[in-house]
Amino acid sequence: MTIWFIKSFLLCLLNVAAALLLSPLCEGLMRKLRAAIHSRIGPPITQPYWDLLKLLGKEDLRSTGGVVYAGLPALTLGSVLLLAALIPMGTVAPLAFAGDLIVVLYVAAMSGVAIMLTGFASASPYASIGSSREMMMLLSVEPILAIALTVGAFKAKTLALGGIVNWQVQNGPSISMVIGGVAFFLALQAVAGKLPFDIAEADQEIMGGPLVEQSGPRLALFRWAMWVKQLVFAFLLVEVFFPWPHFGNYLMDLIATIVKVLVVLVLVTVIDVVNPRLRIDQAMGYFMRVGVSSLAALAFAVIGK
Amino acid sequence: MSIRDQVTVTRVKEAVAARSDGAFLSATQPYADTLHFAIEKRAMRAVVEGLVNELQARFMISVGTDTRPVTGDFAILHLFSLDSEHLYVLLESPVSEKDLRIESITAVIPGANWAEREFRDAIGVHPEGHPDPRRLLLADDWPEGVYPLRRDFPYNYQPPRAENVRPQMREPPAGASVVPMGPFFPVLEEPAYYRLFVEGETIVGCDTRLFYNHRGIEKLGESALTYNEIPYLAERICGICGFIHSTCYCQAVEKAAGIEAPRRARYIRTIMLELERIHSHLLWLGIAGHIIGFETVLMQTWRIREPVMWLCEEISGNRKTYGMNTVGGLRRDLPNQIKPKLLETLAKVEKETIAVRNAVIGDTTLHARTKGVGVLTNEWAKKICAVGPPARASAVAIDARIDHPYAAYDELPPQIATQEAGDTWARVLVRVSELLESIRLVREALSAIPEGPICAEIKEGIPPGRVGVSVVEAPRGEAVHFVLTGGDNRPYRWRVRAPTYPNLQALPAMVLGGTIADVPITLGSLDPCFSCTERLETVDRRTNEVRVYSHAELLEMSRRGNPGGCPRAATRAAPTQKARGGGAR
Repeated sequence: MTIWFIKSFLLCLLNVAAALLLSPLCEGLMRKLRAAIHSRIGPPITQPYWDLLKLLGKEDLRSTGGVVYAGLPALTLGSVLLLAALIPMGTVAPLAFAGDLIVVLYVAAMSGVAIMLTGFASASPYASIGSSREMMMLLSVEPILAIALTVGAFKAKTLALGGIVNWQVQNGPSISMVIGGVAFFLALQAVAGKLPFDIAEADQEIMGGPLVEQSGPRLALFRWAMWVKQLVFAFLLVEVFFPWPHFGNYLMDLIATIVKVLVVLVLVTVIDVVNPRLRIDQAMGYFMRVGVSSLAALAFAVIGK
Repeated sequence: MSIRDQVTVTRVKEAVAARSDGAFLSATQPYADTLHFAIEKRAMRAVVEGLVNELQARFMISVGTDTRPVTGDFAILHLFSLDSEHLYVLLESPVSEKDLRIESITAVIPGANWAEREFRDAIGVHPEGHPDPRRLLLADDWPEGVYPLRRDFPYNYQPPRAENVRPQMREPPAGASVVPMGPFFPVLEEPAYYRLFVEGETIVGCDTRLFYNHRGIEKLGESALTYNEIPYLAERICGICGFIHSTCYCQAVEKAAGIEAPRRARYIRTIMLELERIHSHLLWLGIAGHIIGFETVLMQTWRIREPVMWLCEEISGNRKTYGMNTVGGLRRDLPNQIKPKLLETLAKVEKETIAVRNAVIGDTTLHARTKGVGVLTNEWAKKICAVGPPARASAVAIDARIDHPYAAYDELPPQIATQEAGDTWARVLVRVSELLESIRLVREALSAIPEGPICAEIKEGIPPGRVGVSVVEAPRGEAVHFVLTGGDNRPYRWRVRAPTYPNLQALPAMVLGGTIADVPITLGSLDPCFSCTERLETVDRRTNEVRVYSHAELLEMSRRGNPGGCPRAATRAAPTQKARGGGAR
């Protein structure tokens, strides 16, 4: 029992540490890529670390008081780190025993809700507009994530993420899971707050939306949470929907997973760079169509494809 | 002068005489393209109605002048353009000091709204029946009854203190809430305050407060500088189209003084004006992309633009603010050996611009954000007297280069691009075709440029009391300079109207019914230049000390050592002070 506990604990720590420490590196790589498309040199790859360090060292200014408001940045980062412990990142999910798909979905939505609450609590008109946009985005995107993951659960006849991954590895690609994966990828763009769906932040319209009043260490935590979230969701996409090729060799599998995650992040960044921002009504219409299309994945799953 | 022109002149004269109903004072034609009428103020509105309704005259600007030292009265002058007849019509009316009122023409021409508020603020002649009693030009803490453009007002006057003043803004309609945009807002490089009245995200109304930092450029030109010093000040009206304002001013003075700039100077002016249009439109395209989050467009267009700036630097010594213009021509020749390099750069810019155009035109997300957004209807564009690309994108085919040819445009007429839709996308298309057209014009001007002197010799002084009107088609639309010559080697009155002045007045109608997300791009699609419009200046101070100042302390600091509030006093509090033109993005 003790050994099992220690092992889970260490794995948890590994996942959380990897997500925390590597997500700024990914962000730095993506900034380089973005700069290349812009014909710029771009900042050093380590810049996000320095950004965080600088922000963390600044004065903590709050536009309103209250325990909830004070704790929201930590809650946001905490929720995405919990998500990191709940999903497999190159290995089995360390906290798989603690919850299944439904817990994953809830935890995944938590950070969005926390950012939304921050905006509503900030007492700024821009933050309120941003938060209501964030809410609309959450409502449009969450069903797609749910449908896509449900397809996996339906196919594997289990709600455990590990079970779905195992089933995928054993049975190979299927039409329904590919459609689900594509839908999940499209939603990922919005979850990561990337263009054309960075509508809630929309610097040029509402000056950062829900985060307009955030600065210093609070902003650092929110930024960090967004980077972790982007990385964790990329892992989730790769592990659940595209786990092949499976070598059976732990190191090889880990390398393959990391390469696939980087490919996903590159795609997300390229889409971000070559698109202007949509309006909230246009984005909602778009995700409505994606959502309806992703139902096709469920239909294929029902007929066993 | 051709027979057709004579017929038009007669028609205008008859129309004015018929409408003025015995209030007709005089009619002169100082230049072939200018008709100058003096009428009594009681007939002003009727005559304006006649001009607009019967002759389709386009209102340009009003000029309020304190002519009391000369004639004993104030003078209000409304300036119109008959575009297809290539004619300026000036309607002037004396306003006695005893009865400082004149009938407002805003009811006839909505586009005269700001112009009338401006002369009310500046010289204190009240447009009677004007729909908006609020200030336009003067700061909110400016004392009542002090009129800065009156002759007895010293240009270095410092107003007394005022505390806790706020702009008078309208309240939102019932059920709507307020979203402020400005006075400082990320995508507006300059201060402007928009109060958006919204229901959810839909805009149901809008109120504005502009003119945050009026620099008093016109006053300075009329009281402290001389004819030949003003071009440098005029060039600093705008950080983007400086050459346009200095050209426009010089042309106005040249016209008033009867000086003809040499042919070569006119060609070089054309080349520089078109180079400014090229770099300005590329800059605008980038900003438009930035506003809707399309940073790649910003980065790429500004990269394409940079060699044009380098060329300007090679020609004039400066990337911007060339200092080339002077009354009578130019101070600096275009070196012939730069021609091959100019052509080479233009070829590169053209190739890359076409690549960007093709990428932009095929982008469906971009269509989604710009088509049907911020529509300026043809009818309202005419009523609000919009100019430049916003007018042309609403199928109003006006262009100062065609309607009132100046520089070398009589020999190099541009092809003007128009669109029907009047939306943001139409304005993008119009500007992109203008950009390519400008490249063609520079090429043609380079091949046709004659040799010869670049500046006319001016032997006599400029006689007082002459009127000069000049227009230049800036990248943002038509810029107008009006000069009334004075006796002491400086203008008696110098009036500048930047293109953003009429265009910005169209904004409230354009954003109505749209969403908050549409406002920045709609505003951006007008390519607004507040510094031109307001003729303002911003000051940037830097200190190494970290200290938080309260509002009262800042006020105190800015007024230290001087009871009136002299901006120079701030220098002592801040070790380094750096001033820059508000428009220099």
